[in-house]
Amino acid sequence: MASEKKSGTGNRREFVRTRVPLAERISSIVIVILMVAIGIAIAIKGRHFNPDIFAVRTDSLKSTTAAVEGKAGTAPSSPEATAENPAPAEAPKSVAEKPAVAADASAEGGAEGSGDAPKPAVKGEPLEIALAGIKPMSDTEFYNSDNLFEKIDGRAPAYQNFNVQTLRCRSFNVTAAAGSYVDVYEYRFDSPVDAFGMFALERDPKGGPLDFAPDGYSGEMGYFFRQGTVYVQIIASDVKPETIALAKAIAQNRAKELPVDDSGLAGRRKLPAAGMIADSVSFVPENAQGQAAFKDVFQAKYNFNGSELPFFIMVTQPDDAVKAWKSFQDFCARFGKVDNLPDVNSGKIFSAQVFGKWKVVYQRAGELGGVFDAADETNAQAFVEKYLRGEIK
Amino acid sequence: MSTPNHNDAAPWSADSVNRREFLVRLGITGALIAGSGLAARKLWQPKHFVPGFEKVKGAQLRSYAPEISKVLPSLAIAHGTDHEKTIRAAMAALGGMDRFIQNGDVVMIKPNVAFDRPPALAATTHPDALRAVAKLCFEAGASKVVVADNPINSPTGCFLKSGLTAVASEMNLDLLYPETNSFAPLSLDGEVLKEWTFFNTPFKKATKVIGLAPCKDHNLCHASMTTKNWYGLLGGRRNQFHQYIHSIVSDFALMMKPTLVILDGMNVLMSNGPTGGRLSDVKPMNTIVAGTDMIAVDAYGYSHLLERDIAELTYLHKAQDRGLGNINWQDTLYKEVQA
Repeated sequence: MASEKKSGTGNRREFVRTRVPLAERISSIVIVILMVAIGIAIAIKGRHFNPDIFAVRTDSLKSTTAAVEGKAGTAPSSPEATAENPAPAEAPKSVAEKPAVAADASAEGGAEGSGDAPKPAVKGEPLEIALAGIKPMSDTEFYNSDNLFEKIDGRAPAYQNFNVQTLRCRSFNVTAAAGSYVDVYEYRFDSPVDAFGMFALERDPKGGPLDFAPDGYSGEMGYFFRQGTVYVQIIASDVKPETIALAKAIAQNRAKELPVDDSGLAGRRKLPAAGMIADSVSFVPENAQGQAAFKDVFQAKYNFNGSELPFFIMVTQPDDAVKAWKSFQDFCARFGKVDNLPDVNSGKIFSAQVFGKWKVVYQRAGELGGVFDAADETNAQAFVEKYLRGEIK
Repeated sequence: MSTPNHNDAAPWSADSVNRREFLVRLGITGALIAGSGLAARKLWQPKHFVPGFEKVKGAQLRSYAPEISKVLPSLAIAHGTDHEKTIRAAMAALGGMDRFIQNGDVVMIKPNVAFDRPPALAATTHPDALRAVAKLCFEAGASKVVVADNPINSPTGCFLKSGLTAVASEMNLDLLYPETNSFAPLSLDGEVLKEWTFFNTPFKKATKVIGLAPCKDHNLCHASMTTKNWYGLLGGRRNQFHQYIHSIVSDFALMMKPTLVILDGMNVLMSNGPTGGRLSDVKPMNTIVAGTDMIAVDAYGYSHLLERDIAELTYLHKAQDRGLGNINWQDTLYKEVQA
């Protein structure tokens, strides 16, 4: 064996070592143990991060303090300016333009100055409103979902839950009323349905309907509506008639300018207005009534013949509507008693008593809906039949 | 197959290593290990272990709290329809503003001006409340009143639209906006607040500190009242604490020992907080709560002004559990009056 190896190694001398002294073995073992111990110590240290020792050096966060364009522009820069005597609109500069406002960025970002901070990442089309009697107080401010908290702080998660994409906002002085102003907020969502969802969440139950925006209402100090993917808030600084009139004019302007898009909201359009309890409209994207087939469902409560009836509508393909109706009927039959009722105006209807509550559910073409969880069958059936006949609109 | 002759094949095999050579090798190995250890120690920077992280030792805010009285109430609840009269009534019930403010005091008032909202929407400290408190401070002998906050939105816009700029101008108050050099490190042994930057300029000359907060709903922590109001003193990316919102708010009871806190419950933002936006979110409750224990004040505010179950307001319980206040306001020495 040795001779074979030797022949393969050319001029190199073969290293054959069969006996290692005990001392060397021991020292080798000690070294290996030490290396393992060091490795374990590093792993333990690494797993137990101690914030007392490794506190954040705020200087290192400079790069994260991206200023928001227009953020500082909501007020006059002169210290003597007041709401009654605001500085000229062009006086305030945007965060990006004005070094003094780096302090604001510092306040938000904690960096001591932000000379080398990156330029604002959020930009967009300025909010220009061509109306007499208003004058911009500031530049337009832009936010996205990630930095929305810089404008509305703890309210931001509620908007993020509905996939808010951007916020564009601007303030306008009311020239006819000294010290008065109107704030315009345009929250853009990923879909009309999500915009509607957020709008519905914040809906004022006492708000009056708007003739220029179907999903909208007026409050004592503002106008709120959903159009397309945008949820618009027009907030007046006070209730002076001049301010409110301008707020309304701005709201009408925005309703005219913003594109109409009701994709996914067909069910909402079909919910009848008569008897609807204000603030009761809700949107259930999936699993309405616990049914996998019930998607994009709109629900509302109605005052009808002295009782309160929850009513829902889903609009889909006719085949899917038929399947969903049949599937719901089967579900009700498993847990209660189901009766098929005579068709009304091409609508198939069944009523069911499940767990002591009544459901009267119809299907007509691609539309599925009905009353659910009603205390008495007569009212529920009457409501659905009247709806199908077009007597409740 | 014959047994190989190791002496022939490897003349420097184990058999040929003498004692001297072994000691030399051992010495070299030991020297290498020792050298590596020394080099590692030399290169090891415990305070710069991760680039961007290092230990920062900040200041601690001193206590501005008054001496505890066994005779005078620590909590006052006043009901009325006029801001000034109701605040005066609350302060009178506490023993008068001169119990807290003495001649020559520089008083820092911390309002909540987080947003650029008009006063009617109750998302910010009402200008009438600031006016009344500032007036009482001057009447008690204050030499100067400083008003400071680090708002979420642009400071100038927030103070202007909330109406506080006008009050500051009218009452000759010092309005302090956060500037680049307004912040300093703060050290605290809080649950989450350890080392952070805070708006320290207002505290440089202040001898007394008053928190003046609106009572309002909050989307994340249920309510924003006098304890949460101190959030506005933090600098940096303070929104990162939102994930520990109840812990950070309870830490404020440790961070701040104010002279006095006043909760403005004249008009309460009951829903859609903290920003609001509709008058329908606002409910007139016609109440001012003042006291030296912000936890007790907030406990009253949550249960009686926001009309909610105190059991759900985690940050108050956390603060009480750490001995930073008394959630059972009824157990404190309190006085309820009509303005």
